[in-house]
Amino acid sequence: MKTRARLPRLVAGGATLTLALTLSACGDGGGGASSDDGKIHVLVYGDAANKVEKQLVDTFNKTSDVKVVLDTIPGADYQKKLQTIISTPQAPDVFFNWGGGSIKPFVKADLLMPLDDFIKKDPDLENKFLPSVFANGVVDGKPYGIPMRGTQPVLLFHNKKVLDQAGVKPPKTWDELLDAVGKLKDAGVTPIALGGGDIWPTQMWFQYLFDRLAGPGLFEKAVGGDKSAWESADSKKALGMIRELVDAGAFGKNYDSVKYTNGGSVALVSSGKAGFELMGSWYYSQQLTDAKEFAEKDLGYTVFPAVEGGKGDPAGVAGNTNNYYSVMKKTEHPEAVAEFLKLMYSDEFVKAQLEIGNLPTTTNTDKFIDTSSTPEYSRFQYDLVADAPSFQLSWDQAYPQKASSSMHKAIQQFFNGQLDADGFIKAMQALPTE
Amino acid sequence: MTTKTTSAPPAAGPRKGSRRRPPASSATKVGRPGFAWALPAAVFFALFAIVPLIMVAVLSFMSWDGLGSPEFVGMDNWSRLMDDPVMFQSVWLTLLLTVLGVVVQTPLSIVLGVWAAGHQRNRAVLSVIYFIPLLLSATAVSVLWRALLDPNFGIPAEATWLFGDGNLFGEQATAIGVLAFVSTWQFTPFHTLIYQGAARAVPQVLYQAAEIDGAGRYRQFFHITLPQLRNSMITSMILMIVGGLTTFETVLILTQGGPGTDTTISAYYMYDKAFKSFDFGAGSAIALALVVSATVISLIVVRVSGYDKMRSTMEGVS
Repeated sequence: MKTRARLPRLVAGGATLTLALTLSACGDGGGGASSDDGKIHVLVYGDAANKVEKQLVDTFNKTSDVKVVLDTIPGADYQKKLQTIISTPQAPDVFFNWGGGSIKPFVKADLLMPLDDFIKKDPDLENKFLPSVFANGVVDGKPYGIPMRGTQPVLLFHNKKVLDQAGVKPPKTWDELLDAVGKLKDAGVTPIALGGGDIWPTQMWFQYLFDRLAGPGLFEKAVGGDKSAWESADSKKALGMIRELVDAGAFGKNYDSVKYTNGGSVALVSSGKAGFELMGSWYYSQQLTDAKEFAEKDLGYTVFPAVEGGKGDPAGVAGNTNNYYSVMKKTEHPEAVAEFLKLMYSDEFVKAQLEIGNLPTTTNTDKFIDTSSTPEYSRFQYDLVADAPSFQLSWDQAYPQKASSSMHKAIQQFFNGQLDADGFIKAMQALPTE
Repeated sequence: MTTKTTSAPPAAGPRKGSRRRPPASSATKVGRPGFAWALPAAVFFALFAIVPLIMVAVLSFMSWDGLGSPEFVGMDNWSRLMDDPVMFQSVWLTLLLTVLGVVVQTPLSIVLGVWAAGHQRNRAVLSVIYFIPLLLSATAVSVLWRALLDPNFGIPAEATWLFGDGNLFGEQATAIGVLAFVSTWQFTPFHTLIYQGAARAVPQVLYQAAEIDGAGRYRQFFHITLPQLRNSMITSMILMIVGGLTTFETVLILTQGGPGTDTTISAYYMYDKAFKSFDFGAGSAIALALVVSATVISLIVVRVSGYDKMRSTMEGVS
């Protein structure tokens, strides 16, 4: 009797124990990417550009003994998920990033491999890329990233029709921009469309104006840990100019309720309700998707206006320099990884990127630009980046990832008047720089 | 497992009023729930709730950015939070949103629920339509409303007399209003369902008796229906409070805690600290504070309302 009653208990207990053991075994890297299966795992941001990455992986795997496996993390959560797996056995061998501050903490945690040795063996890994772009993969004087995908400079786009009707020409200087704002307001349209609900479009105005006014040195100092940069005269002057622009009604009153990501600000320009929009080079293909006829006929683009008396070169560019592949220190196949990275300056890579509308930053891009889907626009961008004396990486990527949330808050609050200049300066000084 | 039922019948002779129980069949013995039955669930609960909770508690005393190994910092995270104005604001905002949710949704869902419990024409069809918002994920609902409330192309553009320049997400008061509205829109159907079920369970005799006594529809509602819904009301309110304290997706998608930190509720602040600023220690501290306060508030509601005693709503009936 007693034994009979005990039996189900034992069975149940045994079953749960087995279950628990199985569950805990899952945590030991049984599933997903692991680095010790004789393959190289390459982790990339999952989106339309994966088409090219798959193609390159196939090309590589045809001749290599060590095979490459492409893992993708879809959506904008890439950075968060990357950081959670990077110090686990699931970490990839090679991963996609934005260079600059986005990899600095990984370098500091001693997870990444400096690429000097690769470059010593094959100098083309450095020479075949545009210098201003390659420079953003360098941390503490050592290269940690090989450019991949394409460059995304921020440009000032406009609706040609709206500007014509208001008697405005694309502005070459800040004063001309202020003048255009007045005229467009009189014509009854929002002078500049801004997706302030996403905050990062707001930041574009800061990073460009600071670069024009103070030159790239000021921000370099700040991101290097010198907090006094934010309270310098140039910084204060730039803030004053932003204040002036906002107060002049350049962005209307409801910019914080408008989003770029749901097509709100994009439609403002294409439907003729706004004159300008400052946005990354992907804007062109976005307009092609959202409003094809407008994009082909009436969408104009220029560089960010020069600031009179500013220390920055008017040819300087801001935006997303490029994306980069970084290599984990613990990879067991460094030779194969080096071979794989060589593909990033191959003709095949350049052609495939141009076909999907990306603009690679290799020296051989020039040869193939006419095969791009929008040759004239690609040419404009390429010359801009190739001739740029400096390329200001987006602020939120130049700082370590953990600073971006506080930075975005400060930018939004200064822009809509919740913070004054001193409050903004204090908030920026409180950001972690490493 | 030996029980009295299998032992010999009581030595004393048959007593008055005591019935001899039939010998337990083997079926009841096997079917009797032992502790082992709860083990699988207990193990899962421990693994996915208790263990993480303990880990969060430990992590709240450490500094960790997700890279390398955590470092013990004592009360540092906690004292930083105590000095953090955003933390206090987030607590206040969380409570405000929770109270707004309860105050707005409760009357609405009672009225709708009682109505839906009736036998009117087209009631079933309309009930199904009311139910649709609940079937959508919070993410879909938030994306939908963000687009509908676009100041230039959404509803505010058409109704400028009501929305002005449509800067709903650019100001604190209106942004909170939108958050409260969207969760009301989404969760009222659920609470309506609770009240519909409860209203159906009210014995018809009560209404018949009231009618004989000459009570009108409103008197019947306030003196019979409402008191009979008491327990359901508490259930529904506890769910609203817990839901309100843990609101997250709507804020993440609709406002991202902005403008600035104006709609940064505690759950979002936890996410912001842990997964955007990679300050897992501070994030864990907020999470733990949230767990403790949600538990305490729920317990208070249960105590104050007398729900724990489970008094019958049928009292006075039988």
